[in-house]
Amino acid sequence: MPSGALLFQSVILGLLLGGLYALLAAGLTLYFGIMRVVMIAHSAFLILAAYLAWWSHTELGIDPLLSMVVTVPLFFACGVLLQRLLLARLRAVTLTMMSVLLTFAIAVVIEGLLGYVFSGTQRRIQLGYGSASLELFGARIAVVKLIAFGLAAVALLSLYLVMKRTTFGWALRATIQHRDAARLVGIDTDRVAGFGFGLGLATAAIGGTALSLDTTIYPSLHWHWIGPLMAIIVVGGLGSVPGAAAAAMLLGLAQSLLQIELGTTWAQTVFYVALFLTLAVRPQGFFGGRLAQRF
Amino acid sequence: MPSASERLVTPGRIAGAVALTAFAAVALAYPSIAPNPYLLSVGIVVLNYAVLSTSWNFVGGFTGYISLGHGALAGLGAYGTGLLVTKAGLPSFVALAAAALLVAALAVPIGYAALRVRGASFVIVSIALVLVTLLVFQSWASFTGGSRGLNVPRPFPGMLRPEHHRVFFYLFLALLAIALLVWWLIDRSRFGLGLKAIREDEDKAEALGTPTFAYKLVVFVVSAFFTGLAGGLYALWFGDLDPIFQFSILTGSYMVLMALLGGVRNLFGPLVGALVVGSALEYFKVEFGNTPLHLVATGVLLALVVLFMPDGILPAIGALLRRLDRTTDSSIREVTAAELAAQRVGGEQHAQPRSG
Amino acid sequence: MRSLEAVELTKAFGGNVVLDQTTVSFRHGKVNALIGPNGSGKTTFFNCVTGLIRPDSGRVSYAGADITRRTPHAIARAGLGRTFQLCRVFPRMTVLDNVLAATRPHGVNLFRGARGRAEVDRARGWLTKLGIEHLAAVEARNLSWGQQKLLELAGVLNSEPETVLLDEPAGGVNPALLDRIGALVRELNAEGRTFVIVEHNMDLVMSISDHIVVFDRGRPIAEGPPAAIRSDERVLGAYLGV
Repeated sequence: MPSGALLFQSVILGLLLGGLYALLAAGLTLYFGIMRVVMIAHSAFLILAAYLAWWSHTELGIDPLLSMVVTVPLFFACGVLLQRLLLARLRAVTLTMMSVLLTFAIAVVIEGLLGYVFSGTQRRIQLGYGSASLELFGARIAVVKLIAFGLAAVALLSLYLVMKRTTFGWALRATIQHRDAARLVGIDTDRVAGFGFGLGLATAAIGGTALSLDTTIYPSLHWHWIGPLMAIIVVGGLGSVPGAAAAAMLLGLAQSLLQIELGTTWAQTVFYVALFLTLAVRPQGFFGGRLAQRF
Repeated sequence: MPSASERLVTPGRIAGAVALTAFAAVALAYPSIAPNPYLLSVGIVVLNYAVLSTSWNFVGGFTGYISLGHGALAGLGAYGTGLLVTKAGLPSFVALAAAALLVAALAVPIGYAALRVRGASFVIVSIALVLVTLLVFQSWASFTGGSRGLNVPRPFPGMLRPEHHRVFFYLFLALLAIALLVWWLIDRSRFGLGLKAIREDEDKAEALGTPTFAYKLVVFVVSAFFTGLAGGLYALWFGDLDPIFQFSILTGSYMVLMALLGGVRNLFGPLVGALVVGSALEYFKVEFGNTPLHLVATGVLLALVVLFMPDGILPAIGALLRRLDRTTDSSIREVTAAELAAQRVGGEQHAQPRSG
Repeated sequence: MRSLEAVELTKAFGGNVVLDQTTVSFRHGKVNALIGPNGSGKTTFFNCVTGLIRPDSGRVSYAGADITRRTPHAIARAGLGRTFQLCRVFPRMTVLDNVLAATRPHGVNLFRGARGRAEVDRARGWLTKLGIEHLAAVEARNLSWGQQKLLELAGVLNSEPETVLLDEPAGGVNPALLDRIGALVRELNAEGRTFVIVEHNMDLVMSISDHIVVFDRGRPIAEGPPAAIRSDERVLGAYLGV
């Protein structure tokens, strides 16, 4: 029976991890909500952002967090371009399937380019404060994990405020809920969709930077993330951001606790088990409520 | 006037027959005309791709469900064969058959869960399948050899390399022929029509009386069986298995790319796609060495196909040939009032004897 | 009695109660019409009956058997065929294949060729009856709306349903075609087929129906022969909001 301190630590870490997952999954949910697109390249962009953070730190001596100043707007622009130039060209009838293949292709291209430019060697940022940790009731928590969680929390909060309080956010939600109705009230849904995508990729920039703080990165790492992220959004309910967040917290916690007994690799299977269970029992997801789509 | 689909001899059919004969001739003679063993082995790799993508096309082409996870099934076939030979001591080809049947059996619970959802969710599940099998096979090192890999003994120990390639070339060719035959049989059958209806409008098909779930499951199992066979045969030929290559999302995506490129609704679509992409892949490997650039090339090619040629090569050729054949024109005019009146009179005359 | 019955069928979408303890039965061997203002639950009723959506509570039975929880294809095989309000055909299949794809009630040998002589002749028979035989080789997506409606009808009829549920067969259809559809319904009914038709076109309803049920806000408010319904005050109230 693991000690109380160990359990407590795992719980805290699980919550921190869940928060990060929530941010990463939120982006995926946005793409799906806006355009019914399963953006497989999302995690590839994550890793790209992580590489950019690492590179700016190693080559330019900049703190990885500062790299966000460049990567966030850059990724936002990429997202807009991606939606307007590529995804908008797909025929509506086969959109979901073809978008999967197209974004899959983009993910593979990014992985190839990363491997070509940076080689397959595993990279890790060596931060001054990288090994610092806080003591909290006997639990040892790495500072970088707290920072990552902080980033995720701030980003999610900003996303929430944008969606609920700004005109753009309202337009975005309208487009997500009912595209035709949104058009009828004068919303330029194409432009909104483009910006929505940009928003999604912007969260990838933030998430990737958070990831770079304490993860070893390599080009094919994105496959390691897309599985769990997709499991999260299916468990949460496709199209629902709060649902994804809830599922993210739950699964992050579960993964962290299972790591005690099963080790890192087997603990990862919790996502796939959850996915399998969701499909078998409630394919529309558990937390999404009425917003959740079936596919 | 007989329409194109009813006339036996059309430019399309002639072109197709010629191409098929040419391909068969070249294929049968290939081991003899290949300049060196390396090119012969390239031929085997291409044939392997052809079988894999044709097997994939049972699901993708008929039901329209895009699986990015068939790589897992191929890997399971490969490892199944390898493990049955090394751990259970079965003779190579018995192990192959057993492994393929095992994969088919596994496909039942997998399909049962996966086929309950459609579209995007299904793709997600298929990707998850590959990722999870990769995870399991990498971690369960005691049983599968983990990242060290698994060595599968050759079925014909005394055979020299060129002869080994030759035999397996013909074995793969035979497997391809069988897979194509089964695809063709399904294509023209009642079962196939039901599957295509599922592809077009699943709810409507169900409303018309098609047991959609059962149909999907059956074709998924058939697909898994052939995919497992291909994977197992590859294991016997290649001899060295590594989880990262066997359970690769990339293999799964190659299958999809090839089928899409050639045309998923055509019998020979995946084969054509395999010929084009397989050769291109080998070429890239030679040109760019084994750098990640072949990943970039694959991705770009897939993106181009999706954006500009989503129906594939063969349908494009078919449309071109149809335009050359001017004699088929069905006019899509509304029935005129006179015809309507004539039909109604005819209909009433037809009905009277029954009610009388 | 091989009739279609619903007992206390209830279905709500979110807070919107579309079917409210609906109890209704349709006469076997007759042409029944189901009319009512928009939003009164007619299509939802069809969807519950044919298994496309699950009712929150209540029962549907056909020919005495409870079909509430059955899958759509089992219901179709039990003898209930339907068309859709927004006409659904298989877009990239030819007109002939569209009709061939309809499965007959008793099982068929799956690996038999789809285009056997008997099947093709029967399918062509339906195409001729509906006047679209000349379009047999055309892909369904290239047809006009009216032609697609006829095609959908041909497909459903090819599955030889005992009871045919038609969801707004007159929607977007020109008068000549309307006449033809009405005549066809009466002809098929004379041969023994039961019809339940959701429809807004009162001319069609009054001219071909034997029995009319009126829905309003998820419940039947009146039923009877056309003459009675035409002068029923409750019906007028529901439609005109009086």
